[in-house]
Amino acid sequence: MAYPYRDERETPMLSAHFGDPEARTLEGWRRRGGYEALRQALGMSPGEVVDMVKNSGLRGRGGAGFPTGVKWSFLRDDGRPHYLLINADESEPGAFKDRELCRWTPHQMLEGALIGAYAIRATHIYIYVRGEFFEPAQIVARAIEEAYAAGLAGPDVLGSGYGCELTLHLGAGAYICGEETALMNSLEGRRGQPRIKPPFPAVYGAFGQPTNINNVETLCAVPHIVRQGAEWYRSFGTEKSPGTKLFNMSGHLVRRGNFEFPLGFNMKELIHDVCGGIRDGRRLKAVIPGGSSVPMLGAEEIDIACDYESVAQAGSMLGTASMIVMDDRTNVVKQVRRMVDFYAHESCGQCTPCREGTQWLAKILRRIETGNGTEEDLETLVDLGKNMTGTTICVLSDSAAAPVVSSLRLFRDEYLALIRRPQPVAAMV
Amino acid sequence: MAEERTPLMGGNPGWAGEAGEFGHLSEADIRGTTYVGRRPPEGTHPGASCSYPFQVLEKQPEAPLFVGPYRQRLDKIRTRYPTAQGALLPALQLAQEVRGFISPETMAEVAAELALSPAYVRGVVTFYTMYNKRPVGDYLVQVCTNVSCNLCGGDEVFEAFLEHTATDAGEISADGRFTVMEAECLGACGFPTAVQINERYFENVTPGDVPAILERLRGESAAGPRPERGG
Amino acid sequence: MSNEQQQQLVHVTINGRALTVPPGTRIIEAAEQAGIGIAHYCYHPSLSAPAMCRMCLVEVEGAPKLAPACVTAVAPGQVILTESARAREAREGTLEFYLQNHPLDCPVCDKSGECKLQDYTHAEGPKHGRSVEPKRVLGQDDFGGDILYDGDRCIQCTRCVRYMREIAGEDLLCVVQRGHRSAIDTFYERGVEGNLWAGNIVDICPVGALLSKDFLHKARVWDLDNTSSICPNCSQGCNVKLDTRDNLVMRVRPRLNPDVNSYWICDYGRHRYEWINQQGRVEVPLVRSPGGALRAVSWQDAMLRLVAALRERSGPAIVLGSAMLGNEENGLLARLGAALGGELLFRSARAPDEVPCPGAPQLARRRDLAANVRGLELLGFRRVGDDAGTGGLPDARGATLIVLGDALEQLPAGYGADAGLFVALAQRDLPGVRAAHFVLPVTTFAEQEGTFTNYEGRVQRFWPAVQPPPLARPGWQVLGVLLAGLGEASAPASAGVAFGMLAEHHDALAGLSYEMIGPRGALINEPARIGAGRGV
Repeated sequence: MAYPYRDERETPMLSAHFGDPEARTLEGWRRRGGYEALRQALGMSPGEVVDMVKNSGLRGRGGAGFPTGVKWSFLRDDGRPHYLLINADESEPGAFKDRELCRWTPHQMLEGALIGAYAIRATHIYIYVRGEFFEPAQIVARAIEEAYAAGLAGPDVLGSGYGCELTLHLGAGAYICGEETALMNSLEGRRGQPRIKPPFPAVYGAFGQPTNINNVETLCAVPHIVRQGAEWYRSFGTEKSPGTKLFNMSGHLVRRGNFEFPLGFNMKELIHDVCGGIRDGRRLKAVIPGGSSVPMLGAEEIDIACDYESVAQAGSMLGTASMIVMDDRTNVVKQVRRMVDFYAHESCGQCTPCREGTQWLAKILRRIETGNGTEEDLETLVDLGKNMTGTTICVLSDSAAAPVVSSLRLFRDEYLALIRRPQPVAAMV
Repeated sequence: MAEERTPLMGGNPGWAGEAGEFGHLSEADIRGTTYVGRRPPEGTHPGASCSYPFQVLEKQPEAPLFVGPYRQRLDKIRTRYPTAQGALLPALQLAQEVRGFISPETMAEVAAELALSPAYVRGVVTFYTMYNKRPVGDYLVQVCTNVSCNLCGGDEVFEAFLEHTATDAGEISADGRFTVMEAECLGACGFPTAVQINERYFENVTPGDVPAILERLRGESAAGPRPERGG
Repeated sequence: MSNEQQQQLVHVTINGRALTVPPGTRIIEAAEQAGIGIAHYCYHPSLSAPAMCRMCLVEVEGAPKLAPACVTAVAPGQVILTESARAREAREGTLEFYLQNHPLDCPVCDKSGECKLQDYTHAEGPKHGRSVEPKRVLGQDDFGGDILYDGDRCIQCTRCVRYMREIAGEDLLCVVQRGHRSAIDTFYERGVEGNLWAGNIVDICPVGALLSKDFLHKARVWDLDNTSSICPNCSQGCNVKLDTRDNLVMRVRPRLNPDVNSYWICDYGRHRYEWINQQGRVEVPLVRSPGGALRAVSWQDAMLRLVAALRERSGPAIVLGSAMLGNEENGLLARLGAALGGELLFRSARAPDEVPCPGAPQLARRRDLAANVRGLELLGFRRVGDDAGTGGLPDARGATLIVLGDALEQLPAGYGADAGLFVALAQRDLPGVRAAHFVLPVTTFAEQEGTFTNYEGRVQRFWPAVQPPPLARPGWQVLGVLLAGLGEASAPASAGVAFGMLAEHHDALAGLSYEMIGPRGALINEPARIGAGRGV
């Protein structure tokens, strides 16, 4: 029951109440079974909650797909203050699921976070919402106020004796703050630059304390797991990628928006049936399956299952399952250049291969796009992409290289066409 | 706040033209403004005190910082972080809410407030795009031209805003109302083209919607102060 | 080292060389111990390591990604390769990124010759650039004080930003903007002026982005001679290098001594070197003739006459030492003073406050604004005069007045003119010394070998960096000959021998010799050494 379109094949779990304004309110959320899972979790030991999430096989929905329960188990009961951070700094081009979760079901997120905080013995949850998401943040703020008023947060959560604070923190405009250690720096009032690891956040995180950070969608799945059980959750999705996932469908589609399916759902079916295929009767050209940071796939490469393993096998990554769909009129070079411009704009500037590489790629691509490229440029692009991959603190650099290298694999002829027969770019989108 | 349940389709131009199967919802339903309600300038629960506008219509570049309700809000915010530095981003947002942009003087004042060095604060301010380093118009129009919106005409929407406000990117329009800028991905890729105008998102904007959106903003601007402060 | 500690040691292999280091040692440090240099920009041993320059990536066998050697601690059994194909390719690739926007203006860059970008590019960088794009232009910016910033050459290693925060204790620099628009800047018009430690950022800048206005376009570094020395400007005794060309000191740079100044010096000391280059020296021995005029004579003549005059002298003796000169000459002066039964005095300027270096606990610009105050006190000299280093001298009428180094400024005109015998061992030909009966040209600390004793009693050596005027002699040599002429001691043949003579009269220095004073200096009053010295 996703938004703004629904499909009968969907398995709505996280998105069951999208488009339902009443579900936002605490009262409405409770009427829909809300906070029962929190009550249940507080009756368990923290270790039992961790085990349950481990057994569910839930994997982080922020892009990396790391098992959530395992991540939680890294925090030791060492007497230091622990923090749980909610990563709602959604800024990956193509991704727009956390915004929907925040604005339609803020209590779902808070409930999941409180369960997670209890599991890792965190006493403070920071909700890092990107600054541009002012409207969703207002909704979350209201939900926080309701949660405090109802005793769901504060020194004694639901009379359990467990205390946990909720604090909303707004970002100020930086894509890189979605990287977990950059987010911590930003939360601490610093430039949002990723930190070198080790030390890992579970040992030295926000404010130097053991910290766990989860994506909004990850935490939203937690109440469902607690309420219905790990086995039930595993009944969705595949063996290695259990559960459901919000698929963020954008680009040249008839029906755009979020759709919730079990992981492993077929990509071709998703694009051509659920989303109604390509607009204006055009043909599919390429799909970026996991947000702009992952390699693109050609039209012939999309008959695959949308789970972490299958997409990786196809040469890309599921990432945030944010699919950017391009039709046959698309000027691939222009769109790749636009994405690289983005990475150049958003590079924090610490690591030289990223700081210099992103702007260099952008300069070359712009030259090719405007008909001033050479064939040697293509070699240089691939080479720079190689030198930018695996050589930096975080993966923004790798991400910038991904669309360049993958588009050169699929659409080299388009680059060559621009190089050999310069033409005005206005003819193409 | 009395919210009219205006049907989306046909009403409120340019705001969410493609509401799919949810055309029965009002703008307030989707924005959640009824739920959010009016929020007092001094903040409510400290945990929620960060969530305020920092791009209000009337800017007071000379106004004192951190007085009255703003002092109360900053005090609340400071209780939420184990370090003074932790309150830097919210404190700058408060300052921008009052003054409309972050001048060097503002940086120095915020630095003094939190016992940080001014140069450090400058480093932080310039890292983030949402701190305006220069004054902007009443309405800061940020058009997403990143890939998902770009595929669907983001560049044209951006051009349309420039044309209809008669400005160049980043400039303040002659009437002082608008500054139009290109923005990176706004996280509303399913609703191209996404445009952020001050705190609000306008979704599914096409070049044809632009005049009506600007007209709507002009109407709000004339209707009275700070329409969006109350939510 | 205890057995337990030995058991904890980590065994690793770097480029095939087996190495044993304490746990927690970072790869870059371990490699350094093995004499293997790993290229780096952002890492500096006394600053935090952000691992952002990506130059020090090395291959650790079995690891999927290359590891930054500056932050990766060694692990037992690690096999580290700094010259593997992967490590080399990564370095070469990264170097190309550094060069893409670099102006390559080495011919007009002060850093040329000691620039890490130049060095690494020469060693393994691309022979030709393949970028055809226009370069980023940021231009120059005045950072205040002595510092000029060239944004186009900057490689964003942020050493300077971290130095100002972590060592100089004032966050006066920051990175503004982000990504490829990043630049280093101050808070608008507020520069680094006023921070006494800011000058060090020029030294730690690995490229030509931070420049000293004082040194700007003054010399090419490959034309400079570098001499190890001690900063004479306060009693901290910072280890420095005097960089000279054409017999002129061109700049002063810190020299590592972890016990004294770490990698740093203050700007007060850094910029007080011009006096070494000053003209107007006493060029030849001068002796007052019966007619009253000073006449140039040979050294032999001067010394014979002076010995005779000293033998015939009467009245009290006043002996004035100099804290800007070494233990050797002051020590022999003290011997002479003792032989004459005179009072040992010195004058030296004192600053109102000590200025500690926030990030280097042992380092401060000390109140005493001369290197050898402690040495003089130890040798028996007593401080007189005010905090400006003036006044305080007793009436010299009829007395024997022997002055070493002190220019006798700010005294009533003709001070000493009524002395029975007035001997000035002087460097500069100033009115104050012109009243003497004997004006003998001596060298400055920069022109001779010697030692200073710093505030904590650390004896440190310095070496001659520039040539003195042809007839000027080190004070110890002049005084040694005098003592020999008076039959008090045999004249020392070298500064080292002169130093050895001090130990005979001063317990604190017992057992010390030039050979024993290592690169970090040696503390006085070491009981073990005193015992050993006595035993010999």
